[in-house]
Amino acid sequence: MTGERIGGSPPRAGGIGRVTGLQEYVADIRLPGALQAKLVTLPCARARIVSVDKSAAEKVPGVRLILSASDLPQPVPRFGPQFTDRPVLAVEETKYHGEPVALVAAEDKDAAEEGARRVRVEYEELPAVFTLAGALAPDAPLVQDPSLRPKDPLARTNVLREHRVEWGDLSSAHADVVVENTYTFPMVTHFAIEPHAFLAAPEGDGIAIWSSIQHPNWLQKILSRLLGLPLSKVRVYAPDPGGAFGGKQHAKLEPAVAFAALRTQRPVRLVLSLEQTFQAVRRAASEVHVRTGLLRDGKLVFQDIRADYLIGAYVDIADRVVGKGSYPAAGPYNVPSVRIRARGVLSHTTPSTAFRGFGNPQVNWAVESNLDEGARVLGMDRLELRLRNLARKGDRFIPFDTPADGEWEQTVKKAAERIGWATPLPPGRGRGITVGIKSGPTTGLSYSIVRLLADGSAVVFSGTSDMGQGARTVLAQIAAQELGTPVDAVTVVMGDTAVVPYDQQTSASRSTVLMGNSVLKACRSIQAQLRAMAARLHAVPEDQVAVERGLVRLPGRELPVLEVLKPGLGNLGGELIGVGEARKEAEPGHPLGGAPAFFEFNCTAIEAAVDEGTGDITIVKHVTVSDVGKALNPLQVTMQDEGAAIQGLGHTLMEHYIFDGRGRIRNLGAIDYRIPTSLDLPLELHSESVENMDGPGPYGSKGMSEGALLCVAAAVAAAVREATGATLRDLPLTPERLWRALRDRR
Amino acid sequence: MSEKIPIEFSVNGQRRAVEVAAHHTLLEVLRDDLHLTGTKECCLVGECGACTVMLNGRTVDSCLVLAVEADGGEVMTVEGLAADGRLSPLQRAFLEKGAVQCGFCTPGVLMSAFALLGENPHPSLAEVQDGLAGNLCRCACYQQIAEAIRAAAGERER
Amino acid sequence: MHPFSYARPERLAEAVDLLLKHGPDARILAGGTDLILRIRDGTLTPRLVIDVKRIPELCSGIREERGRLMIGANTVMTDVAAHPLVRHHFQALSEAAAVVGAVQIRNRATLAGNICNASPAADTAPPLLVYGAVVVAEGAEGTRRFPLDEFFVRSGVTTLRRGELVSAVELLIPARRMGAVHLRRTRRRGHDLASVTLCCGVDQAGMARLAYGSVGPRPLLRSDETGVLADPRGQETAKAAVLERMFAEAAPSKTSMRASPEYRLAMLRVLGSRAVRTAIERLAQGGAR
Repeated sequence: MTGERIGGSPPRAGGIGRVTGLQEYVADIRLPGALQAKLVTLPCARARIVSVDKSAAEKVPGVRLILSASDLPQPVPRFGPQFTDRPVLAVEETKYHGEPVALVAAEDKDAAEEGARRVRVEYEELPAVFTLAGALAPDAPLVQDPSLRPKDPLARTNVLREHRVEWGDLSSAHADVVVENTYTFPMVTHFAIEPHAFLAAPEGDGIAIWSSIQHPNWLQKILSRLLGLPLSKVRVYAPDPGGAFGGKQHAKLEPAVAFAALRTQRPVRLVLSLEQTFQAVRRAASEVHVRTGLLRDGKLVFQDIRADYLIGAYVDIADRVVGKGSYPAAGPYNVPSVRIRARGVLSHTTPSTAFRGFGNPQVNWAVESNLDEGARVLGMDRLELRLRNLARKGDRFIPFDTPADGEWEQTVKKAAERIGWATPLPPGRGRGITVGIKSGPTTGLSYSIVRLLADGSAVVFSGTSDMGQGARTVLAQIAAQELGTPVDAVTVVMGDTAVVPYDQQTSASRSTVLMGNSVLKACRSIQAQLRAMAARLHAVPEDQVAVERGLVRLPGRELPVLEVLKPGLGNLGGELIGVGEARKEAEPGHPLGGAPAFFEFNCTAIEAAVDEGTGDITIVKHVTVSDVGKALNPLQVTMQDEGAAIQGLGHTLMEHYIFDGRGRIRNLGAIDYRIPTSLDLPLELHSESVENMDGPGPYGSKGMSEGALLCVAAAVAAAVREATGATLRDLPLTPERLWRALRDRR
Repeated sequence: MSEKIPIEFSVNGQRRAVEVAAHHTLLEVLRDDLHLTGTKECCLVGECGACTVMLNGRTVDSCLVLAVEADGGEVMTVEGLAADGRLSPLQRAFLEKGAVQCGFCTPGVLMSAFALLGENPHPSLAEVQDGLAGNLCRCACYQQIAEAIRAAAGERER
Repeated sequence: MHPFSYARPERLAEAVDLLLKHGPDARILAGGTDLILRIRDGTLTPRLVIDVKRIPELCSGIREERGRLMIGANTVMTDVAAHPLVRHHFQALSEAAAVVGAVQIRNRATLAGNICNASPAADTAPPLLVYGAVVVAEGAEGTRRFPLDEFFVRSGVTTLRRGELVSAVELLIPARRMGAVHLRRTRRRGHDLASVTLCCGVDQAGMARLAYGSVGPRPLLRSDETGVLADPRGQETAKAAVLERMFAEAAPSKTSMRASPEYRLAMLRVLGSRAVRTAIERLAQGGAR
């Protein structure tokens, strides 16, 4: 076997298209006769729609359709992964700044733009809640219609749901030291470089949709219901997204575009501006109150965590974010008594959705920072404190749940060594070391089909979305490894529900494990067929034939797969087809619906310097180490880890939505929403992996790609605290905020 | 007011004649009229660099250039990098060094990298970071991008 | 974008005529890095856009002429930053031009356009003021030359008359050596709009000039002829007092989301004292790269 397959880093599949500009993203797809669409939105956070006057817009030459709520089936269809709450277009009220009121479709973009400008919406601005305090106030206007939660005592509040996790006995827990603080995490947006784009076209007696959706089958299901079409008549094409990070998991404007296409009987294309994309997706903001109890020797006694997540006007997947994100909030430690109360609080803001880390970064920021404060009060080294409490492999650190599944202290020690934790700190500098944990998928279902073709090349059909993480390449590597095919002779077909079998979703860093196992199983099926073929050809009992890693082993000899396949297929030719199913069933009664398949574990260590005059933070050294089981493609693992680390620096140092007093976002667009550029990198950034082959995925792999983002903020704040004595509990740590904290520290 | 103005310019060495509205940007004309969709639309305010092309020998954000301004000029897009269908050393280096993740920023990054190496054949790391500062990458493969550029320039990696 | 008409005059007189005729309904298009943005976001709605890039009189580039450095109106930031004469005599201007946006912006944005856009945060304004730049404007009544300090009124507004356009910016090559530096405050290290811009220059005669922007409707120029600021052995407290006087008119926006007024005023002082120190060092080192 060559080093190019598992454990090697072959050129990424789909790379050539990306460097030549030939890769087609949704916005690049041209359908003849397509109408161009533009949205009509209102310049306020919340408004009652009094009337929508289309008459002026209809007169613009080239305008073919102006679709608003009144043009849709009544009552207006609604959708959403958790609540069927989001209307296809705003009904009677817009509930967040940018909620689409109408869609104008015209022969060209200019006409659509002019048409959208001329739609006259008469509206009445309504008071909006866009902060936790505002949403939780006793007389706060309700964001969600209470009839959506008929039996819920919370239905007449903006609290969507409270999730509780408890074990041990908080009331009787005795601690020598108790540290209690509140930490806030801002609203941030994904800012994938590809803004959202959607295309729909009638196709025969059905419809075809193009969307950079991470979950094509989920979208297919939603559209099938909304349009009243069988699944087989809804074809979802999911071209590789130009970045997603969770923001493209769930349906947003596909239904509206689909209705427009069916109404006009023409393809309809809608490409959002970057500003509209910021209005469409974000991460949940949070306020987390942590009370940590420790003994004098550093042992954790209890964690009492109250996390309020500010979610948006429609639930999207936010409730799941709150529940799953807060579940391991006590951290990868053995803590005798834990109480976690996490609430999703609705607001008149952009619906928050999945975003790398899925609710964990928010609590991690609070809990790790609070642990550091505990260490300071105890006069104990922060690394030592963590090692003293860190769960060891096999520990049921969350009782009755998946035990700690990695040698986590190995990851921590590696990071500590790399940052030089034990070495003297240069003057004016500070260090931080933190850990992060995230639950992997709790349920899952991934099918794949693998076809071994007559010349030994192979095709893999997989519903995973390759949004930059390189899933295509990894799946090709697995097939190559198992079938003996060179990696570059494996074609991976994704993103077409008419051709590719069912995959539940691409999220939770699951694809290497779930889809990977599915492809592995499909390959095993082909291997079984090869065994039968070899047994027949060489008149040997099947149980004496083994097929692995591209070789067929018979008594006394070894043959490459091709030397069995060709004669085996004979004159009729043909191919071998394998179907793989990777299934993780739900566990009723488990608070998350199932125990996590694995944990992502990361340790981040930071060394920073601060310019006390201006508040500028320089990340001198950033070390990130992740426990990955097996790096199927080491280069891609590094790319994901470094990418996640830098993205984490974004919300740590510079990213946040800025609102005005009426709930409108002021900093829409790239000029005033700052993300890290090539000049904002740490002076040194090192990523490393720990590989103990102890994951549930192929070859002992675990999922990865979110871990390196989880604990960046706490590590940076810890380094700043050591360097300056200033404690910050609110992100982002902008120069101005640090300057204020430095000034106030005296 | 949306009268069409005839313009002529060369794109990737090929002479193109097209009629454009004054308010259509070079980005729009490249993508919508000439069907060269390699150059991408993102921020449309000259911040992200996804729309970077070479105009008369210099990189520009094509979202801020009117198509009419390119009249008589020379434009180079990502589609012009591979000569005779063979990847350039720069493109190959990007693939080898993992400088491509989702790929949406890649065309713009490649144009900036191409321009940088054209003016500074052996850039230091700092010069690379500065030269690429106008190209946002949210997947954040900045380090791999820098390695790829320096590899293409024949430098040793850090 | 709202549609508009486009003209591309090939003679200066033609451009002037169009400006006279259309007044505020016409806007000049040089680099487009401000204009296109503002048309797209609707803050400007010209009926006519006048592309001046092919007017020969504006394409003179950077030339030395009778003791002055002439920077033609169509000169872009990349060229301003890199020109050996700018680097040698006007180091702070080179520094400022080098941080206007990123490479792609600098390849289009013109120096003239930067001052005509008249943003209080214009990066090149403080160094141009410190170096005593002169605006050369052409109009129906011929050529006008006046100090840049008389050019800025407030955000987006200059003293250009109807029918006038800037044809060049002139810098007198100083008889006395000057050490100067340009500093700014941004929200990240990557390209950003500045929330404070500042330039300080000191010369061999002990004169200090300091200009700053983004803390009021227009960039301001102040000077200290007492020699206190420029004195390498001067006391920090004495210098701070001089700086305080210089900053007295700073009036930062209360509604800006980039930085609070408090922070801007504090940073003015931090950058001010750092700029003074660096300017003195540079003068001692030779005042040039």
